[in-house]
Amino acid sequence: MNETVVGTSVLRRDAPGKLIGQARYADDLVLPRMLYAATTRCSLPHARIVSIDTAPALAIPGVHAVLTAKDIPGTNAVGPVVKDQPVLADGVVRYVGESVAIVAAETKDAAMAAAAAVVVVYEELPGVFDPIEGMADGARKVFAKGNIGSRTRLRRGDVAAGFAASDVIVEGDFTTQMIEHSYIEPESSVATIEPDGSIVIYAATQYIHYDRDEVARTLGVPSSEVRVIQMTTGGGFGGKFGSPLPQCHAALLAMKTGRPVKVTWTRGESIGTSIKRHPYQMHYKVGARSDGMLQAVEARLISDTGAYLVTGNSVLGKSTTHCTGPYSVPNVSADGFAVHTNNPPSGAMRGYGVPQVTIAIEQVMDEIAHRLGMDPVELRLRNALDIGSTTATGQVLKGSVGIKEALRGAGAAAEAFRAEIDQAPPGRRRGVGVAASWHGTASARRPSEGTTVVNVMKDGSVSVITGAVEIGQGSDTVMGMIAAEELRVPFEKVRVFTTDSAVAPDCEATTASRVTYITGNATRRAGAEARRQILEMASQDLEASVDDLELRDGVVTVIGAPSRRRTFADMVFERGMQGVTAVGSFIAEIVAPDAETMQGIPHPTYGLAAHAALVEVEMDTGRIRVLKYAAFNDVGRAINPISVIGQSSGGAVMGIGYGILEEVQLREGRVVTPNFATYMLPTALDVPAIDVGIVEAPEATGPYGAKGLGELAANPGGATILCAIRDATGMMMTRTPVTPERLFMAMQEAGVSTR
Amino acid sequence: MTALQNPAPAKVVLSLTINGEPRQALVAPHRSLLEVLREDLELTGAKRGCDAGDCGACSVILDGRLVASCLTLALEAEGATLRTIEGVALDDRPDAALHPIQQSFARHAAVQCGFCTPGMVMATVALLEENPHPTEQEVRQGIAGNLCRCTGYSQIVEAILDAANAAPAAQTAGAPR
Repeated sequence: MNETVVGTSVLRRDAPGKLIGQARYADDLVLPRMLYAATTRCSLPHARIVSIDTAPALAIPGVHAVLTAKDIPGTNAVGPVVKDQPVLADGVVRYVGESVAIVAAETKDAAMAAAAAVVVVYEELPGVFDPIEGMADGARKVFAKGNIGSRTRLRRGDVAAGFAASDVIVEGDFTTQMIEHSYIEPESSVATIEPDGSIVIYAATQYIHYDRDEVARTLGVPSSEVRVIQMTTGGGFGGKFGSPLPQCHAALLAMKTGRPVKVTWTRGESIGTSIKRHPYQMHYKVGARSDGMLQAVEARLISDTGAYLVTGNSVLGKSTTHCTGPYSVPNVSADGFAVHTNNPPSGAMRGYGVPQVTIAIEQVMDEIAHRLGMDPVELRLRNALDIGSTTATGQVLKGSVGIKEALRGAGAAAEAFRAEIDQAPPGRRRGVGVAASWHGTASARRPSEGTTVVNVMKDGSVSVITGAVEIGQGSDTVMGMIAAEELRVPFEKVRVFTTDSAVAPDCEATTASRVTYITGNATRRAGAEARRQILEMASQDLEASVDDLELRDGVVTVIGAPSRRRTFADMVFERGMQGVTAVGSFIAEIVAPDAETMQGIPHPTYGLAAHAALVEVEMDTGRIRVLKYAAFNDVGRAINPISVIGQSSGGAVMGIGYGILEEVQLREGRVVTPNFATYMLPTALDVPAIDVGIVEAPEATGPYGAKGLGELAANPGGATILCAIRDATGMMMTRTPVTPERLFMAMQEAGVSTR
Repeated sequence: MTALQNPAPAKVVLSLTINGEPRQALVAPHRSLLEVLREDLELTGAKRGCDAGDCGACSVILDGRLVASCLTLALEAEGATLRTIEGVALDDRPDAALHPIQQSFARHAAVQCGFCTPGMVMATVALLEENPHPTEQEVRQGIAGNLCRCTGYSQIVEAILDAANAAPAAQTAGAPR
């Protein structure tokens, strides 16, 4: 490792603009003659649309257009994996808040009044709100074809033999809640028609090319007619790669009116109607020998995917392949079901099905340790994956398996926390927990490509053009660092452009913990190719071998003879060139899991993590305080360590929220927590400083050894807190979030002393 | 809807001082300070995260007091002295020197998606003016009304503590810069 930029902490160049309020988000944009949109939403969870009367809305002064499903010129179905969500409900509504009509008006007030004035007559249909109920024979149907939207089936080894060989068998049922991404920036898009008739959309988004294609399909035009420009995006976490309804709605209204149209959702619309993290009901049966070695895992995973699947099948797949946790288990049998209900649709959210199974398997691990009288960290270490281990999908791990180092780090942190365990004030108990998780880098469905263009301009400064958008996590900085490293220029001389679908190569979404790995590799290849071309020119001019040349900040010198030099500027000028442009691509090769057994190689590599927490429980109220937290994440290589620390800390806090605070609560499909007064996000007072340990088990196929972090950072948090609660109270909590009420009631039922 | 069914209420001239400059706007009485800042005065630094006073992204300092501009009627600011994120830096151009608090946020990587950042900075300005040398707990209390989903708050808290430690007492006590 003799890199000079990679591995150093580089400050992101978008920070100053964000700090002075000058960064431009989609809702900050005002275009001349712009109209404002609002949405007519159904208030019933399941109904047939009998009639829609838009005349009263159109009669309101300032209203220019009211559109319903019949006004969609193209295809009325979108979704990242399965295109089953209507852009506007057609004939049937399947969840509360589904879009039925959209309006554009001169002012927001007029738009909102018009949206409310659309008269929709519904014939209410019976709804189904629980996936178990939905799976039953004779259940009320969300779709005529049935409520089971997707199934998974994983088979490895012989679980019956595994249980027969086990000395201890733990079974349990676990329920995780629906949560909301809660990016602080609500969804927003502005669409405008160019003078040539093409469409430009300025959007808060995680994937400009997907938005482009979905808008084009909705409008019934070729993708080449649509250009999506990402505005500074205020967080995503998977939620801004759902069904791109704001983009499609803005485009439809702009097409209809010929004027720019802005769609910005309220917080209530964002929480109430966007995709969510799937709630899961899980049954686990796990067997281990008396020495702690896991023999068999049997899991039944049922997700509530809500009214539409969108990504529900793919999320379920990731839950299934990750159901064992980061442990080596010879016999695994898992069955998954993604079930439709008349609840809001769930889709991608940071973790993509792994936080749910982590809650379950980690509680089981603690129970096994308890029954065997073994230290929980020791139990995990004995079973932890390693180089050469085989995963539940039959994938043999070739390298970069830092889970043992992460567990040792978390174990040491836990020991340090334990020193404070007796310092609880009267009436409170403290506990320490450690939990582990893992996360496959990139999509498991098919190979996944990224492409980067690197331009070295005449003065030696560099532009990097690639389509993996920045959503706050710091990927633009990482791409700039990689290009700076390969071209041996200062980071300050590199600018990264990722926002324009008309210019940037399609790199797939900023999701699946894939950007640093896939687009990072593409950027590294592009940079290396540009460097090769520059050295080649110098080799001709200096009559020296490329191997004897050194490039540094636009100057090539012969190593050991610095007077023999050529500047980049001179070399391109003399050749009549305008600079050097190079393209790099990278495809993550996978073997898509087999449909019957899920055996395969779903991911090129895995991030691995172990976290530790110290919690304090107020025994007569059940209130839980997280006093200390340490997160050890194996990222392969930290390209920008200060950014790894930030993403790790944010992920840990999101995990804490999942464990004890957050829940989208539903009553008969209605979200009753549509704001941040009722949906409990962690505040600065709810969490401690997060101590981040960076583990670097280099990944041979990653750029400089790096692999994905984004989701991994958030996966173990909830489970870690539950493990600590168990240590404090003896209660294995099986339903998240563990609110004070739930913990208090559980302790009451178990007869735990409140002293 | 009521606004539409009834005749539109008469607009009123709002006069106030924003970041040291006298400003005026013609506003309908029901509009929030956040709406008027963003839509009439082209000050889009304050963000609309929730429109309900829960997230803090719209925080501004009104007559020395940190307020959620989404919960403040614009006309409540009549005659007031208002400070917004646009006035915190020494100059409002991106390449100009940042305020020491902003420099500390940048240095500590306390900025990720940036949507909470303007509100966080305003909350920090208000906190450090009232309490120039806060403890970590006081910092967390000071920004408890500002939600951040990206950072987990650690680097923000570090940045605020560092800004407080670096600042000479006279400056944080409110003396002119």
